[in-house]
Parts: sequence; structure tokens; C-alpha cells
Amino acid sequence: MSLRRPRVLVSVVGFSLLAGCSAGSSSEESSSATAAPSSGGGGAQGPSNDPISIGLVAEPASLDFTKNDGAAIPQAELGNIYETLVKQDQDGKIVPGLATRWTVSPDRKTYTFDLPANATFSTGAKVTGADVAYSIDQVKTKWTIGLKAKMDPVSAVDATSPTQVKVTLSKPSNSWLFDMTTRVGAIFPKSGGDLANKPVGSGPYTFTRWNRGDSIVLTRNDKYWGQKPHFKTVTLKYFKDPTALNNALLSGTIDVVSTLQAPEALSQFPTSKYQVIEGTTNGEVVLSMNNSRAPFTDKRVRQAVRYAIDHKGLIDTCWAGKGQQIGSMVPPTDPWYEDLTKVTPYDQAKAKSLLQQAGKVGATVRLRLPNLPYATACGPVVKSMLEQVGLKVKIDTLEFPAAWLTTVFKNADYDMSIIAHVEPRDLPTVFGDPTYYTRYNNPQLEPLLAAADQGSETDQVTNMKKAARLLADDAAADFLFLLPNLMVADKGITGLPKNAITEGFDLAALGRS
Amino acid sequence: MRRRSGTLVIGGSLVAMVILAALVSFVWTPHDPGLVVPQDRLAGPSGKHWLGADKLGRDELSRLMVGARTTLLVGIVSVGVAALIGVPLGLVAAMTWRWLGEILMRVSDFVLAFPAVLLAIMLTAIYGSGVVIAMIAIGISTIPAFARVVRSGALQVMSTEYVVAARAAGRRPVGIGLRHVLPNVTSLIIVQASVSFAIAILAEAALSFLGLGAPPDVPSWGRMLQESQSLLQQAPRLAIVPGVAIALAVLGFNLLGDGLRDLLDPRLQQRRVEVQR
Amino acid sequence: MILRLLSRLAVLVASLAVSTMVVFGFMVVLPGSPARVALGVNASDASVAQLEQEFGLDRPKGVQYLDWVGGLLRFDLGRSYVSRAEIAPQIADRLQVTLWLVVTSTVLALVIAVPLGVLMAVRHRRASGVLLSALSQVGVAVPAFLAGVLLVALFSVRLGWLPANGWTPPVEDPAMFLEQLVLPVLSLGLVQGAVLARYVRSAVLDVMREDYIRTARAKGLRPMRALVRHGLRNAAIPVVTVLGLQLATLLVGAVVIERVFVIPGLGSGLLDAVANRDLILVQDIVMLLVTAVLIVNFVVDLLYLVIDPRLRSVR
Repeated sequence: MSLRRPRVLVSVVGFSLLAGCSAGSSSEESSSATAAPSSGGGGAQGPSNDPISIGLVAEPASLDFTKNDGAAIPQAELGNIYETLVKQDQDGKIVPGLATRWTVSPDRKTYTFDLPANATFSTGAKVTGADVAYSIDQVKTKWTIGLKAKMDPVSAVDATSPTQVKVTLSKPSNSWLFDMTTRVGAIFPKSGGDLANKPVGSGPYTFTRWNRGDSIVLTRNDKYWGQKPHFKTVTLKYFKDPTALNNALLSGTIDVVSTLQAPEALSQFPTSKYQVIEGTTNGEVVLSMNNSRAPFTDKRVRQAVRYAIDHKGLIDTCWAGKGQQIGSMVPPTDPWYEDLTKVTPYDQAKAKSLLQQAGKVGATVRLRLPNLPYATACGPVVKSMLEQVGLKVKIDTLEFPAAWLTTVFKNADYDMSIIAHVEPRDLPTVFGDPTYYTRYNNPQLEPLLAAADQGSETDQVTNMKKAARLLADDAAADFLFLLPNLMVADKGITGLPKNAITEGFDLAALGRS
Repeated sequence: MRRRSGTLVIGGSLVAMVILAALVSFVWTPHDPGLVVPQDRLAGPSGKHWLGADKLGRDELSRLMVGARTTLLVGIVSVGVAALIGVPLGLVAAMTWRWLGEILMRVSDFVLAFPAVLLAIMLTAIYGSGVVIAMIAIGISTIPAFARVVRSGALQVMSTEYVVAARAAGRRPVGIGLRHVLPNVTSLIIVQASVSFAIAILAEAALSFLGLGAPPDVPSWGRMLQESQSLLQQAPRLAIVPGVAIALAVLGFNLLGDGLRDLLDPRLQQRRVEVQR
Repeated sequence: MILRLLSRLAVLVASLAVSTMVVFGFMVVLPGSPARVALGVNASDASVAQLEQEFGLDRPKGVQYLDWVGGLLRFDLGRSYVSRAEIAPQIADRLQVTLWLVVTSTVLALVIAVPLGVLMAVRHRRASGVLLSALSQVGVAVPAFLAGVLLVALFSVRLGWLPANGWTPPVEDPAMFLEQLVLPVLSLGLVQGAVLARYVRSAVLDVMREDYIRTARAKGLRPMRALVRHGLRNAAIPVVTVLGLQLATLLVGAVVIERVFVIPGLGSGLLDAVANRDLILVQDIVMLLVTAVLIVNFVVDLLYLVIDPRLRSVR
């Protein structure tokens, strides 16, 4: 499904970048686009007065993602209220967003972005190079969330003209450009404002109302510089309870279930009335093992765990057969993906003998789960499988996020845990830092990651492949499965993303046939 | 009177069934209740699984039996905590100085301001969720019920002639309390315990439903109900089994309480003092 | 009489004062910092510390406590750590939602319980009374959330008559408001009604054993008339107690029903606030709930005095 707005043409950009020299969109005048010939999405239908109601899982705690972490805020705002200079398409490639084109200097340290002349914020003010410079500067100086570190490579930003910005990096970084597609790349008006209560951006939707505990309402930005979206009002309704979410669709209160939290309930949606969309996400469900604590300091025990788990059986039971086996910390949408599930295939005998060799038969380990649906569903399965090969497993649940973050994440007071790492391209974050809660400390990994970030795109792919294989060989963790993108929607809704790999939920692409 | 004893018999047998299931589960269950068998996922009732298997392929009957243990444990501990604290409080409030009684009753009113769900939410945030937290939360919130029942019962006993006589004879209050008052309020305590037990079962189910109860590997009826909710259309059996179990157990303890009330003290139509859902 | 009223009032104030300490104490021992939750997994300790300072969490606990209580006394509930918005309007919205839910379902419970309970008592020796009594026992035994889940499965998912969940403020769309209110109110009200009916029954049975009713019946009045003319007032006392208790515990107890029906009430607000470690919001909500329960108790005490003149002198 290619349902992007006009700039479908330029999705080749990601590849031309491989050459390491200048690249960018073919100076396309997306501005005045009234129809997108190449996109089959809802946006192509043009504006209407229709409303749409989308059921989502987690309600944001605040509207300000510069000061509050959590995926729910960018999910609602990114690409809808705020735009980024570059963005990711459905195949994971980096394509122009607010910027019409960009070039990279030969030393890979200077990026020049061109802005469209007619882009405005919803207040009516023009989007200028100064706004971009301000936004990048804000990340470095005013943002408080941990993700602000993504902007560290930037050493200088210059608004060379109202429609051009030059960003200089202290060292080449492939991940920086990618990160600009995420929330840290969002462009704010330099006039500032009340981000927590009245967010203002240049996107196709504007913020209207937040009914706390219930919903957020967005309205089409009729002054939007690009192609105007189909739906006039979008209600994002939040449901804590997976069954309540499903019931809302079944009884017609909402049009789309964005994430099926209870995949076993899929069969209750008759195909005559509903469509099911199944794709991938960036959410690797990791069975983490505390590498700094016995018995998981011993590689044989970690390997035993990987051999002991019947990944197919696990996915079949706790996630109703939805979700993909991965084998390492890379989703199939990343360019360096390869199938590593055969490194440690399901083999109970092997697991038992490894435990025997390590002298850890009958060892007790504590599996501390966050109280999230996939974790509490899969925890008992993991326990049962590990106990069949001779480990003893004690489960306790910790409230997510607060208690889990403090106990498991910050203090690493755990033996095993289950958590989905949903940030894109997060292998280096999760395993590259020995103080991270996985406590994975392998001197071989660091050089691979550095080479990947600073080299060309080809170097990046080769080195990341090596890193991913290293993690699988060394059994740094077990990778239970990749969270599927499972959406259910009324049959007529078009433009739903097959793969949920971006931080924002692209509402402008939606339509109704 | 015949119907009354009927109440007792029905209530007693329901409770006995729950206790029996829990006891048997210690020595025998059809399968390991935690064993995940992917092939048996959502299997219907059969010779292998009498009540079928859940979404993880675990045997429903085995989980039901072990779940009875959790239910009883929560009931016994929470009612025990409440009685151990509430009964002495009620006695002291009735037998010592009037002002102390007033204060103690106000304190018990104050505890009432923290219902089980609220306590559980707060305690869970501090200590993490688990059966123990649920038991303590339910227990604390049940203290006032015992304190009030015992106090009002004790006040009545205190005004009886033999206690007045004993006091006149210079008996020590502790002696009077243990010899005369406590035995006379025992029936009230037993009845209240039975009723509180029923409330505790409902509270545990509600807490598990909110994810504040048993961890996912401990079979509990509330948890089973919560886990089967999403399968209500495809496999209603998975919700009906624990749902009926909860309802029957609550019914059993309530009927037992009613029956005991009439049996132990037919004149004293003592009211249940507390309800919490 | 006045003296009793004043002493009750003093007790109420003292209880409220103690509550603030208990509630604040809870927050002190609560692990997890609002700053860390807000800043997310990759935040450095330094930035967490900085944000905590911004929130004023680095000040001595005593100062924080006085600051909070001082605010409460001025009806200033403070600002949420997480959304940085005024708390008072947020709580007011949620309280309104919960009150609609609790009050309507309590009314429904009363409407069911009073006639049913009286009937069960008056006919307690007849088959119809026994049957009703058994039915009410079953009603008491069903968890309210199970009733909710089943009602949704039947009326929304199977039959499609009513929305499965959601909440619309009455001013926005009265028809939708009513449609969405039906199922949650039914699930709370039916079960509460069954519980209450048991109390009405036992209270009425007690009254019917009293001498004045026996006398009235001996004079030839039919049981129901004798009861209505002489007994209901007395039977009302225990029922009012229970009703008060139910009402108060429902404010937070409705959280389970709020969860099933996705209603943005006070209980769900509390759960969210705890999850976000929005400590000040947690404190405020818990204080509000505790205050409500204490005031309901206080009012029930006063009602005793009104309903039963005998209690005015002793109790």
C-alpha cells in the first residue's frame, strides 16, 4: 500500500543517498498539489466533511513530547500536527517531508535542506529556515526527555535563507538523519507557545480538544500547504481495555482499531464487514536476561534459554499466531535485516545439556514482567517452556511504566524481563551500552556500531548485520517475536499503513471508499 | 425453620465443594495447571481436558481447582487480618471508657474511607501487585465491619445482668471480656466472617480484573475471568467456568452466613454491617 | 443536640487532617519518580534530578506537605506534574462523570431494592418470597464487572442495540449520553440493588417483629398496611446506613465499571495518575475520595438524628 502524499516519486532518495553525494527530491512542487496521481490513499479523495474515529491503546499523559516521553504523544501528533523535514515511507526508506529536498556534503558532515516557499503553520505564519534552526536548537537546549541526545551530533545550524537550512554535524552520522524522521525532528514555530495545551505545527491537522481519559479531537488544517486530507475531524479515542476497544468497533462507536491488543479476538470480526491489516512494527519483544547477574553471566545458560523456547508455539499461544520470529534485534523493515532464527533453533535436549554443562539445572530465576498485555500473556508461556528444560521461574509483575522503569530498567534488579523495544533502529541503544539494563558488555560490538554509524550506507548495512549476528550468537537476549501491526477497520476505510514503523499515525493518508 | 436449615445446607455444601477442590488440588490435578501446550490451545471439553483448555493451552479444570486455593487463601488471610484487629478493637471500644470507644469508632469510620480498591491501588504502586497485597488491602478495609459488629454485640452483653453482677463483684475487665463477652459475641463473629469471606472473593475478582491481583502464573478465578474476556464470543466457556465458580462460592458463603445466623442466635437478628463491592 | 453536632463536626475536621498526613505519607514511600516517567527510558540521572527540582520535589518533605495542605485550604489543588495543567478543572470533570454514574445507579438500586426487599420480607414464608430472596442472593453473588461484560456481549455486540462503551457529556449530546449510560448503570444498579434488597428485607423483618406492628395487625390491619403506616420509618435507619456506605465506596469502586465501559471517571483518573506518578494529582484525588466518604458518614449520622428521634439523646 503506497498511500503517501504527493511525493511518492522521490522514494528513490534513500538509495541515491547510498552514493554518499548530493541527493534529494527532484525539486518537486508539492505545495500546490491538489491531487496525487500516484497515491491510492484516502488523501487522493480530496477533502470532505466526514468525521472518523480511531481507537488507540495508550492515552498520552501530556501533549508535549519535548518534556514527556511515551509513544502515545508522537503517535497522535507527529505527521499530523507537526511535520518533520524528512520522513520514513512504508518500506523504511527516508523520503522528503517538510523539506522538498536535501543534499549531503562529500565529508558527510553537512546537510542542506530546502523548504517549500508556501508552507505555513496553522497560525498562518510562514515556515522558514529560522523556525527549523530554532526547533533543532530547542532540542539541544530546552528539551528534557532522554531522546534529546539524538541531536548531539549537531554542531551548528544556520538558516541560510528563508527557504534553506544548513546543519553541520561534528562527525558523520547515518542515524542522525534517520532520527530526524522521529519526534526530535519535529518543526515548531519559533514564536514558541504552550506545547502542553495548544500545540501548533505545520501539519495537515490542528489540535482542537482533549477530553482527558477519553479522546483527542483533531480538525483538518484548511490552510495546509500540501494536499489536504479527506477527513474533516479525527477523533482519537483511547482504550485501556483491549476488549472494550474491540467492542467499540463491533458496536460501531469507532471506525478503526489501531492495534489489536488481544489478537485472539480477531475471529470475532466478520470479513464481510471488516478488513484486517497485518504488517510489521519496530517492536521487538525482547526476553531480556541480565547479563551481569548469575546465572546469565554464563553464555551457555543464555543459549539454553534460547534453545528452550519454542518460538512458534509461543507466538501461537500468547499472541494468537500473529507476529514474526526474528532471532535478533532487527525488524525485517530495516535494510540490514537477515533471518537469524536458525542460530539457536528450538531444541529442548540441547537446552538441557547446556544447562547441565553450566551446572545450572534447577537454578531459580526471577522473571519480572511489566503489566502490559503481551508481557503478562507470554510470561507464563516462557515460564512453562523454561521449566520443561530444568530452570525454575518465579514471575512477578511490576506496574508499567513507573515501577518497571525504576526496578528493572534503572536498577537492573531482575534476572529476566519481557519488554517490547519499540523505538526504531534501537539495537545500539539496547545492547551497545554496558550500563543499559540488559547489562550487555561485549567489546566486539562497539567497533561494529561505530563503523556502522560513521561509514557509508553500505558500511552501515554490513556492520549492522555483523552486530545483529553477534547478538544472536552470543545469546545477548532472546527475541520472542516482532509485534505485529494488527489493525481492524470498517471495510470502507482506506490508507491504513500496513507496517507501523513510524512514530506518528499518518491520519492524512486515510480515506473512505 | 425448615427453609432456614435449607439455607445452611446449601451454603455449607457450596463452601465444602470449594474447600474440597482446593484440598484435592494439593495432591492431584488432571494436568500441571501451568503447563503450556500450544497444540491444545482453546481446545474444547474432551476426555483429556474435561473443561477444555485456555488460550495458552493450559488445562481449565486444573486451573479452576488450584484457583480455589487462591480464592480461599485470599478469603482466609483477609478475614483473618480483619478479625484479629477488628475484634479486639470492638471489645475494647465496648468495654473501656466511653470516650475511648468513641475515638476507636471514629478511627474505624476513617478506615472505611479507604475502600479495598483504593487501598489496593495505592499498595500495589508501592509494593507491586500480588496476592498478598490484595489480601492485605481487603483485610484492612474489612476491619471496621468486625469492630462495629463486635462492639454492638458486646454492648448488649455488657448490659446483661450477669455481667453487671460480675462487675459489681469486682472482676477485672479482661476477665469479664474473655469469660463472658467474647463467648457471647462469637456467633456474631462467625457470621460476619462468613459474609466478609464472600465480599473478599468478589473483591479479589475485581482487583484481578484491574490487574492488581494475582500474577499471571498464579491461577486465580478473577484472573481467569479477566484473561477470557477477549474470547467471550469464540470460547464463552472460558469465562463462564470461573464466573460461575465465583458466583457459587460467594453464594455459598453468603448462605452459610445467613444459615449460621439463624442457627447460632435466632433471636439476635444481627444485621450485616458492611457491604463493599 | 447542638453539642453532638459540634462534636461530630470536630471529629470530621480531625479525620480530614489525619487523612492529609496519611495520603501524603503514601506518596513519600511510593517508589518511582514523576520526573523519570516523564523523561523516559533514556534520560540521564542529571536531567531527572533537574526536573525533580523544577517540580519542587527536592524540598524537605515537611515543606512539600505544608505547601500542599495550604493549597487545599485555599481550594488550590495545584498543577499536574505531567500535563502541567490546573488540576481542579480536571478533577471537576471526572467527578461529574462519576457522580452521574454513581447517583443514577444508586437511584436504580433503591427503586429495585425497596419494593423487592419489602415484598421479600412480607412474604418471607411464602413461595414467592423465597423465590425472590433466592434471586436476590444470586444477584449479590455476581461481580458487577461480570454483569457489565455480559451485558455488553449481549446488548452491544450481539444485538447491537446500545453502544458498547464510551461517554458523552449530557450537554453535548443528550441522546447519546443516555444511550451510553444505560448499560453501566444497569450493571452497577442491578447488583447494588440486590445487595440493598437483602438489607431492606432484614430491616423490615426486624420491624415486623416489633410489638407495635403486632398490635396493629392484631387490630386487623393487613401486614403491608401495618408496615407502611408504622414501620417504614424504623426500617429506614439501617438501610440509610448501608446506602451511605455504598454510595461512598462506589465513588472509587465504580472504577471497575469505568474500565469496562471506558468512562473517564474519578477511579480511572486515579489509576492513570498513579501509573504516571503524577503524585500531586494522586494526592488530590485520594483526598477528594476520602473527604467524600467522611462527609457521607457525617450526613448519615445526622440523618439518624432526623429519622429516629430516640437517638437524639443517646446512641
